[in-house]
Amino acid sequence: MGKAAELFLGILTAMGGFVEIGELTFTLDGGAHFGYQLLWVTALGTLGIMVYCEMAGRVAAVKRRPVFSLIRERNGFTAALATLLAANIVNLLTCTAEIGGVALIWQLMSGWPYRALLVAAMAFFLLVVWFMPFEWIERVFGLGGLLMIVFIAAVWTMGPDWGEMAAGFVPRPPQVQGPRDGLLYAYFAVALMSSIMLPYETYFYASGGIEDDWKPSDISLNRFVVIVGFGLGALLSVALVAIGAEFFGPHRIEPQLPGTAALAAAAQFGKLGLFIALLGMFFAFAGAAIETALSGAYNLAQFAGWPWGKYKKPREAGRFSLTWIAAFVVGTLVVMSGIDPVKVVEYSIVFSVVVLPFTYFPVLMVANDRRIMGEHANGLLAKVLGWFFLVAITVTALAAIPLFILTHGGRG
Amino acid sequence: MTSPRRIDLLRDVLDHEIVDADGIACGMVDDIEFVATPNGPAVAALLVGPGAWLTRVPSLVAVIGEWLFGRSRVSVPWEHVVDISEVIRLDAKAADLRLGRLDAKVGRWLAKLPMS
Repeated sequence: MGKAAELFLGILTAMGGFVEIGELTFTLDGGAHFGYQLLWVTALGTLGIMVYCEMAGRVAAVKRRPVFSLIRERNGFTAALATLLAANIVNLLTCTAEIGGVALIWQLMSGWPYRALLVAAMAFFLLVVWFMPFEWIERVFGLGGLLMIVFIAAVWTMGPDWGEMAAGFVPRPPQVQGPRDGLLYAYFAVALMSSIMLPYETYFYASGGIEDDWKPSDISLNRFVVIVGFGLGALLSVALVAIGAEFFGPHRIEPQLPGTAALAAAAQFGKLGLFIALLGMFFAFAGAAIETALSGAYNLAQFAGWPWGKYKKPREAGRFSLTWIAAFVVGTLVVMSGIDPVKVVEYSIVFSVVVLPFTYFPVLMVANDRRIMGEHANGLLAKVLGWFFLVAITVTALAAIPLFILTHGGRG
Repeated sequence: MTSPRRIDLLRDVLDHEIVDADGIACGMVDDIEFVATPNGPAVAALLVGPGAWLTRVPSLVAVIGEWLFGRSRVSVPWEHVVDISEVIRLDAKAADLRLGRLDAKVGRWLAKLPMS
């Protein structure tokens, strides 16, 4: 497999960020409500996450510096502590939701009781992360998540309105019914942007690059992995918007349950389509659960200067290992209390947007710094894009919570 | 003759990762201790642990932090610092400086599990 196998880090990161349980329901719901009008946000968010993951991956390859150690070094202790707390609450909420999502998928496939499946999901994650090397986690869950391509195939066979879809990529005033609907559109735009640029993707991606022992010579590989991995994730997002617009919108279905998404594949390809869609969703949700649990452990270890990494034996990175174990156990206990995983993730998406500027600012500062990065520092294009997206996410962060309140969490 | 390298303690040392003689991460520089000498103030040690960072956070956070983590801190004499780059490298092992003890303890506990 060689270097090509590195692609799975990008695919796993993108799957865990783009098509986890929150974004799956969110994107479908956005498509059902507003048709293709939000596609430009998907494109913008994808470019943003590509720009920042490329930068974080480059810093990791050149200096072996993970994101949270940069956050503490550049933002100072107190601001970094606040970012750590917020980032790890988001990680835990998302991990909780994904564990619930995996149990829901298993329930749809087996009909077994949900709570028993939650315990089984926890055991599954603990065993997988304990026994499986990092590169195999990347490969299995990255490759498995590719089954989600069934949604792209479903859109293709639906014969969508390609002209309307293409027009959706151009930002323009939304066609909405009244000011409340306008606010709802703004809320969906902000939440979609946030869910695509989720901060844990950057933490996981840069730490994963260090786990995979990237070196300065891997900079072009990093660029390739980001473009292909995240491009694929974005293509899936576009397909989900299209399914919302072409399948659920006209039938007046609000696809707020993760399993609903599989109906679109079932309608096109029958039982086989349903099975592939559910299996793809299982791998994507499970990948996101692992990504968020490990991200929480990476963040804490990098903030506190503990030994970290899946490439180390658990006994060589004791507190790091204990942190990801705790994330799975606490996440399972939270979701067993009866909380709806989709609600959990809605809160985590809105909450995470506030963390974004604090995460991306230090990455940009270090990647810009020639004293640290030498010839691999940001060029003009990376600088311009970096500042543009920093301003964009700051505006998004300021708008997120007022919009969440005004729209009653997207319920209009 | 090359001029001595100028070190910005805030930018190059504080909040940087400490790595021991075996290349193992063993904490962050949570604070820096100075002593008064006849030639003026001089760096005496790197301070690591809650007892060091609690003085740097707002008082409410410090109260909660102390309740959760205690006030322990380890002082690493400046003489052990051999390199200041992206990380602060020491010439001694973490265990000899009383660094990373909790990690070692958790590690011993995890070592009882299979494939650890």
